[in-house]
Order: sequence, then structure tokens, then C-alpha cells
Amino acid sequence: MQVEFFGIPRERAGVDSLEIPAATLGQLLATLKFQIPSFRDFISEGGLHAAFAANLNGDRFVSDPATPLRDTDRLLILSADAGG
Amino acid sequence: MAFGYHGRYLRIDVSSGCSESVPLDDAILRQFIGGSGLGVRLLLDGGAAEAELLSPEAPLVFAFSPLVGSPLTTSAKFAVVSKSPLTGRVNDSLASSGFAVAGKRCGCDAIMIVGRARELSTLILDNGEARLESAEEYRGATCRDTEAALRARLGAGFRIASIGPAGENSVRYATISHDGRHAGRGGSGAVLGSKNVKAIALRGTRYMEWAHPRELTELSRSLSARSFGPATAKYRELGTAANLLTFNRFGALPTRNFQTGAFEGAVSLSPEQLSATRSKTRESCVTCTIGCEHIYGSGKNGVRVEYESLFALGSLCGVSDADTVLQASKRCDELGLDTISTGGTIAFAMECVERGWLAESWLKFGDGAALLRAIDLIGSRQGIGDLLAEGSRRAAQAIGHDSLSIAPQVKGLEIPGYEPRALQTMALGFAVGARGADHNRSGAYEVDFSEKVDRRHVTIEAVRHAIETEDKAALMDSLILCKFLRGVFDDFYAEAAEMLRCVTGWDVDSSELHETARRIVSAKRQFNVLAGWTPAEDTLPERFLDTPLPNDPAASLSRERLAALVAEYHRQRAW
Repeated sequence: MQVEFFGIPRERAGVDSLEIPAATLGQLLATLKFQIPSFRDFISEGGLHAAFAANLNGDRFVSDPATPLRDTDRLLILSADAGG
Repeated sequence: MAFGYHGRYLRIDVSSGCSESVPLDDAILRQFIGGSGLGVRLLLDGGAAEAELLSPEAPLVFAFSPLVGSPLTTSAKFAVVSKSPLTGRVNDSLASSGFAVAGKRCGCDAIMIVGRARELSTLILDNGEARLESAEEYRGATCRDTEAALRARLGAGFRIASIGPAGENSVRYATISHDGRHAGRGGSGAVLGSKNVKAIALRGTRYMEWAHPRELTELSRSLSARSFGPATAKYRELGTAANLLTFNRFGALPTRNFQTGAFEGAVSLSPEQLSATRSKTRESCVTCTIGCEHIYGSGKNGVRVEYESLFALGSLCGVSDADTVLQASKRCDELGLDTISTGGTIAFAMECVERGWLAESWLKFGDGAALLRAIDLIGSRQGIGDLLAEGSRRAAQAIGHDSLSIAPQVKGLEIPGYEPRALQTMALGFAVGARGADHNRSGAYEVDFSEKVDRRHVTIEAVRHAIETEDKAALMDSLILCKFLRGVFDDFYAEAAEMLRCVTGWDVDSSELHETARRIVSAKRQFNVLAGWTPAEDTLPERFLDTPLPNDPAASLSRERLAALVAEYHRQRAW
């Protein structure tokens, strides 16, 4: 599935998007932590750091590591503090 | 008298040049704290709600707060509070930095200005002593030039807030500027201009004492340390402009006068792109450890970039040329114009031209030269600028046809960069906002960007969340602390109570501050009721109701749903 980064997550990732195979949000974050060392401080076993948020396909925000993901999904990772 | 306060405000009548020190009751200070809260309370006491717009008797209040001058990060802020010439409702706009500290050192908790000076004047407050000097030589000068000239003449110890040509010309969304920052929304610059006051210069030496200085220092250290963490990284590294690509991805970036929520030129305006091709520096307000100001270019050519300016002068007007948008933003700063209302009113006019309702065929979406020309005309109130200087609601009333339905405003205040159909908790926040469509007094967009609601199909459940953000904003604006800190608190109300306890010595707790926040929101409502508010004002323009967003058909807000949300909001507020 495709992971898109916005704002600070994009700065940390160094890319706009990445293809990462994963069946759940927890698996995806674990892979992300491994692939992008600068993300390590922002991902724990419980999920993303409170300063970041994850959204599935632009539709709903998700945080439960057990959230199932499909190959066709797009996960958006952005700063939780969206306004300003 | 509590620590952290002087227990008095200065009432200055610029018609006569007389000033009066008015005592402030301890109970009033505890009930309204400072900033927006105190300012609104003083306006209510001064009969401002019933005053005629821009009349000499209509007061303008600069309100400081107990935290100003303390070592707490981001606390150097002040509120400018008045009846808005744009909305006819309450207006509180905030700005930051040394002016707040200097004002407090003048020995007062607020400054109320009434009257109208005989000539364009500078109001000088030197350690609490007020005097007026002619400012005719600064007529037509930009905010920055006025401030620089006055500091050169009066001395570097003075801190100055000024209006630009837009304020002199009564543009209804003129700002008051200090140190490159603006008390931006609602036209406080026009109010100061109507008093024939070009600038206010402050200097003072009356330092405050804190109730528990050692604990306050520890608290300040802890808060500063947290302000360097991930919760504020967005502001430090990219600035608020980081919203641009995010909002565009979510179909929530207002484009071409809210005709759609996605802009094909968004990438060229993004901070990532801007910093790839331009030099960039960062600046902070006095006492701030975040440093959110990202300035592109250097020296006099430097331009402060904010999301709201990029959206309003960029996507909203269909302009994707970054140099033009930066130039437009800079020009607004020089003239003393609110960028949101400027962009919103110009974008509205562009759509009116497109529909054949306005004859100015040169004013087209995407035309950067037209955007710059329109800004200058507004600042000087020449040609079409005279109409656009009135804001989109009044302009629509003059243009006729069905233009009011596409005027991007609530209560007359132009809508900031959040597409209401795609962010429906924010839509409610806009509809019920005391000063009109506003992202600073309602942080309801935070709810939309969370798991709490389905942002495109919000239910009644969203109402309590919207109220929570509005209450929190009211408290932050009265303490005053910068909202960019909001992510660092685990329990904001408890920590705010501890700050107030250390500063004032009050045995205040979280529950009292919840009540205080609601009291301040209610006071703004009371002001509006006295000024003629009716329930029909708590809504959105027709454009947003029953018509889905073209770029996202799932984003649709029915008239009935918005009405139900607003009714529930009123019920929960017990209004």
C-alpha cells in the first residue's frame, strides 16, 4: 500500500510517499520505523506519537494498531496539529 | 491586589488628550483574567456594544494580561478589542511581542482609547503619562516605516503599534501592526484610524512581582523545554504554511472563492517549494521559544509567510505564482490589511466579474497583476477599491444579483482557509463564532482532523467538541498564551491554573478556569446581543449549504444539518 507524508512527517521521511506492504496499521508503523530511522522517535508500540496523525484514504483518522489495511489503501501521515 | 496586575486601566480621550486611571476590581480581574476576556468586559462596561461604528465614543481597548512580562514562553501578547467596523459585532484580535511588555510596564492592565484627535496623531505613553503629538508627517506611511521613524525619533526604548494607509482610509479590515506582526482580523486598524491615531508609542519601567517566583521559574523552564519538542515542530520547521499541501490533499483548501477545495497550483506555494528556491530565516516574538515566523528573502525584501496569507492571496484568488503571492502578502503588511479579508473580498469580486455582476473585466482569477492592483486600490480606496474596502458582505449588498450567496463571510468576517463542507465541525465553529468566521476563536478544525468525528458527516456529537475548542481558545486568549503551544499540554486547564497561581497568588483550579472560559465566551455573546445580534446570523453563506464540493461530492452540508448543529450549540450553551 501507499503511504503519503505531509508536513513534518514528510521532512522526516525525506520523501513524499513510500510503497510499504502491511496488513495492519501496527505492521505498517513497525516497518516504517525500520525503513526510516528518523521516524523512530515518533513511533512506539502503541502507535504514532501524539504530534502525528494517520488517515486512511483521506476519509477517516485511525490510530488502533489493529486497523486492517488493504493493498489499495493510501495511508496519510501528517502533523496532528493541522491548523494554525 | 493580586500579583501580576496593576489593578487599573488607563482611559485616554484623544479628543482632549486627557487620561484617567480607572481602578480595576480584583473580582473582575479574576473573572475575566486579561486579554480578550478583560477587553470584552471593559467594552461592555463602556457601552461599546451600542456605540455607532467608528464613532469617537466607540472605545478601542488594548488589554494586557497577568502573564505578560513573566518568563513563561509565548506570554508577550496583547489583545485589541472593539466593536468591529466590518461585522458590527465584538472583535478581539491578538498580536505579540515587545508592545505587550512595554504596555504592562506603563503601569496599567489595559488602555482604553476614546474620542477623535484633531489631527493625525501619535499617542505617546511614557511610564503611564499620556500625550499626543502630530503624526501628519507619517500620513500615508507603511506600518514598518512609521514604526522605524518613531523609534528613531523617540528612542529605542519605545515599542510602537501603528496603522498603515488602510487604517487611515477606514478600510474595514485594516490591521494594527507591531514589529511586523498584526492584530489582524475585524478592522481594529480602522477603529484606531477613526480616532485619528496613527500610532501608539509605549515605554515603561514598572516591573511586576510574582506571587511565587521560584515556582514560576521552574514552570517556565519546563514549558520552554516542552516547546522544543515534536508538538511544535511544525511551527518551527515549516511554519503554518505546512497546512497548504495537507489541506489540498484533503480537498479542504479553499480555491477560487470557495468554488472548489483543491488547487492545481498548491505545490508551487508550499513551504517545501518556497524554501527550495529562496533564502529563509526564522524569527520569534519576545519571550517565545517556538519561533514560528518564516521569512522568505532578506532585509526589506523579506516576507513573512503564513498559511492564511498563502491560501487567501493564492488558491482563493487562483494565483499560483509564488513571487506574486509573496509580494501580495508583503503589500498587505505594508498597507496594514488583513490578508484573509483582502484575499476573500478580492476572490469574491473575481467571481462576480466571472458571473457578469461586476464590470471590472481585468479582475480575473489567476491574474497576479490584477491581484496586486486590487490590493493597492483597496488600501487607497480608489476605484473599485472603495467598494472592496467595505468587505465582501457590504460589497455584495451593493452589487446585488445573488452575490450575497457567494460572499465568503459569516457576520461580515471573511472565512479563513478551511473549506466548511470538508471540515464540518469547523463549519459549526464558523457559523456560531462571536466575531464571525474565525479559526482563532474556534479550533474546531482540530476535531475534524481527529478520530472524534467523520469530518464530512458530522453529527450532534461534534457540538460539545466544538464548544471545548472555543472555550479553550477563550482562555488562551485571556491568559494570554500562544495557541501554537496547545499541543504541549497534557492537561491545559490544570497547567494554566498552576501558571495563574504562581503569577497571581490565587488559589485557582482547573474547574474555575473552565467556568472562566465559558464566562468569557458568554460575555462576547452578550456584547453581540446588545449590538443587535439575531439567531439568523449563526449560519453560513448559501454556497456551502446543500451543494456538494465539486472535488469531493461526499463533502456536502445540508441546511437542516447545520441548523440542527447550531440549535444544539445554543442549547448546550444555554443561550
